[in-house]
Amino acid sequence: MLTVVLFFLFFSLFLYVLLAGADFGAGIIELFSSRKNQELTKKTIYRVMGPIWEANHIWIIILIVILWIAFPAYYNIFVVYLHIPITLMLLGITMRGVAFIFRHYDAIKGKSQNWYNHLFKLGSFFSPLFLGMIFGGLVGGSINLYEENSSLGFKEIYVDSWFNPFSILIGLFYVALCSFIAANFLIGEAGEEDEKNAYKKKASYTTIILVLLGLVIILYGYFNDIAFVADFIENKISIIGIIISALVLIPLWIMIKKREKRWSRILAAVQVFLIVAAAMLAHFPHIIITSTNEISILNDVASDSVINSLGIALIIGGFLILPGLYHLMQSFQLIKLFKEKK
Amino acid sequence: MENLEAARLQMALTLIFHIVFACIGMVMPFFMVISHFKWLKTRKKIYLELTKAWQRGVAIFFVTGAVSGTALSFELGLLWPEFMKHAGPIIGMPFSLEGAAFFVEAIALGFYLYGWKKLPEKFHWFTGVIIGISGVASGILVVAANGWMNSPSGFDYENGVFSNIQPMEAMLNEAWFTQALHMTLAAFVATGFAVAGIHAFQIYKGKRKELHQKAFNISISIAAVAAILQPISGDISAKDIAERQPAKLAALEAHYETEKGAPLYIGGIVDEEHQEVNYKIEIPKALSFLAFGDFDAEVKGLNDFPKDEQPPVAIVHYAFQLMVALGTLLALAGVLYFLSLKFRNWQNSKKYWLFFVLLAPLGFVALEAGWIVTEVGRQPWIIYNVMKTKDAVTPMPGIFYSLLMYVGIYLLLTFVVSWLMWRQIRVLNQTKEEC
Repeated sequence: MLTVVLFFLFFSLFLYVLLAGADFGAGIIELFSSRKNQELTKKTIYRVMGPIWEANHIWIIILIVILWIAFPAYYNIFVVYLHIPITLMLLGITMRGVAFIFRHYDAIKGKSQNWYNHLFKLGSFFSPLFLGMIFGGLVGGSINLYEENSSLGFKEIYVDSWFNPFSILIGLFYVALCSFIAANFLIGEAGEEDEKNAYKKKASYTTIILVLLGLVIILYGYFNDIAFVADFIENKISIIGIIISALVLIPLWIMIKKREKRWSRILAAVQVFLIVAAAMLAHFPHIIITSTNEISILNDVASDSVINSLGIALIIGGFLILPGLYHLMQSFQLIKLFKEKK
Repeated sequence: MENLEAARLQMALTLIFHIVFACIGMVMPFFMVISHFKWLKTRKKIYLELTKAWQRGVAIFFVTGAVSGTALSFELGLLWPEFMKHAGPIIGMPFSLEGAAFFVEAIALGFYLYGWKKLPEKFHWFTGVIIGISGVASGILVVAANGWMNSPSGFDYENGVFSNIQPMEAMLNEAWFTQALHMTLAAFVATGFAVAGIHAFQIYKGKRKELHQKAFNISISIAAVAAILQPISGDISAKDIAERQPAKLAALEAHYETEKGAPLYIGGIVDEEHQEVNYKIEIPKALSFLAFGDFDAEVKGLNDFPKDEQPPVAIVHYAFQLMVALGTLLALAGVLYFLSLKFRNWQNSKKYWLFFVLLAPLGFVALEAGWIVTEVGRQPWIIYNVMKTKDAVTPMPGIFYSLLMYVGIYLLLTFVVSWLMWRQIRVLNQTKEEC
């Protein structure tokens, strides 16, 4: 049953990174677009993402609930030492979430729209930035456990863990990844030719930034002895995953040129999957690296009775939710991943 | 401000805020589908208009509730890491099921909001029903987790170690049913009176009477039934607390000394220092009867509990009095509404509408007061008789600043959402009557 629970944990993580990522990314693209394109993007996001918008963001709740039920000791370190970036991420998610819905449902479309737009765009940028920084904090080797370091102050224990160059780089990497997902996603939805070209440009910029940031992270980690990066390079599965994901860029570009909406989306999703899998497997099960130690997610797992009942609940929940979600996507043809282009 | 106090205030603030949004998101879909049903049946455009107006409300409240709920799911751990470390696995069952129910709700909402003219009519309507049902299910499951904090079960506890965990037993703890019943009814009462009050105000001002009258009827009839049932549920809850949490009962009744044939205090000012309640109305033996169904039953007083295990008395007592008073008032208002169906001319009086306008916020005031009773009344425990709140709080100092941030955000959101609702109604009133 532990395998089932772990499967759902990573499954939710992947879907959150992908689906919420596409949503964050749409906001980031809006942030870096000209005024005219902003309007277009805004309409497209709403049309395409609207119906599954709420569902996209529930994956993080599932993720966090699985963490606290099944891996309480791991969860404890996560919430104590990364309290500040988690709070900041929540702030971002809240602000952009309400702004998204307010700007659509405000009965009077007036000046207030500007406020919603700003909130949405900024929130879309900062939420994934902090999310990435949280992951960077977990594996960056900068967490100082207070039991071991009673002499250290607030900054060393609660700030240094996540506010460091490595974490910021990972944060920016996730921001770039979100924009990459969204740009690829939006190309397929764009109606007119110049619209398409605009997104194509965005897609190529984000790809370049993504690859560059990836290289910078590896170089930075390598020269600063960051254990995660060193192990990442040495771990065969991770490195193969990353190489494949780089190679996938080639067919992805061909598909985008050919306007194969379905395949370009599948390939973009595959790419995200490979990146997430590589990052998770590089150090599994030690997904917390402190300044002195590595902490396994499998340490102090909840008792068998808990894991079994959680596994059953997840399987039942999965049977309830996944077909519904699939039908929702199909009914509105929003993710045309599953449908041939007419 | 101390870290513990700041953390408790932040938690209280988040919950107070979230509960309002969650309740509205839970109950309004029912009003919406009733109106939608009437549209399908009668094909009167006015019902369609009302359904769509309410749908915008549902969308706004659902999302605001969902994001504050996301924040809450993290805050449990951010503020109370020691609690979650031990309690997380035990009360995981209701939370994971709640996650599933919430997911179903979000999917149904996607179908409903975007399904107009795209889905078959009946299926589209049915997705609205699913929103309501899964919303109520979510609410009940979360309350079950809270019930466990009041009535911990499903584990063995020895020397600070939790073992032999039975998740199902923990979920079906002794408090879940009474709490869930009371809360679900309260959600319907509070939301119903709030919605009815808003529409009553429009009728009072003489705007689009036909539309607002229909909206009023749908919301108030459900609220009235719930309000009339609520005292029965309250009585079940009181007897349950008398049995399980005598310290809470003593605090909410401000009873310091143990006595047989204990009187019921109505009103009064609590003097915690001298352990007295001044200016109260005393009904002899009534508390013993209400708590145990026997006029001579013994009711434990606060002094029977060690000093460091007594909850704060004054706030719990006042909150309880407020809840009961408002609950009674709303139940009477419910009766008044049903009488007004017989005596039609009452509704021609402006005073009638003004009365319901004034009632609009009171259901929520009562509901929040009720949560203060149950949460503050459980103190100093976070898990009753097992773990104290002060032992659960995060080691990270400076929660005060986090509290300030939350106060800022929630004030802003409350303001913006109210303003949005006001704009919705203004636009609704400006639309020309089409029927």
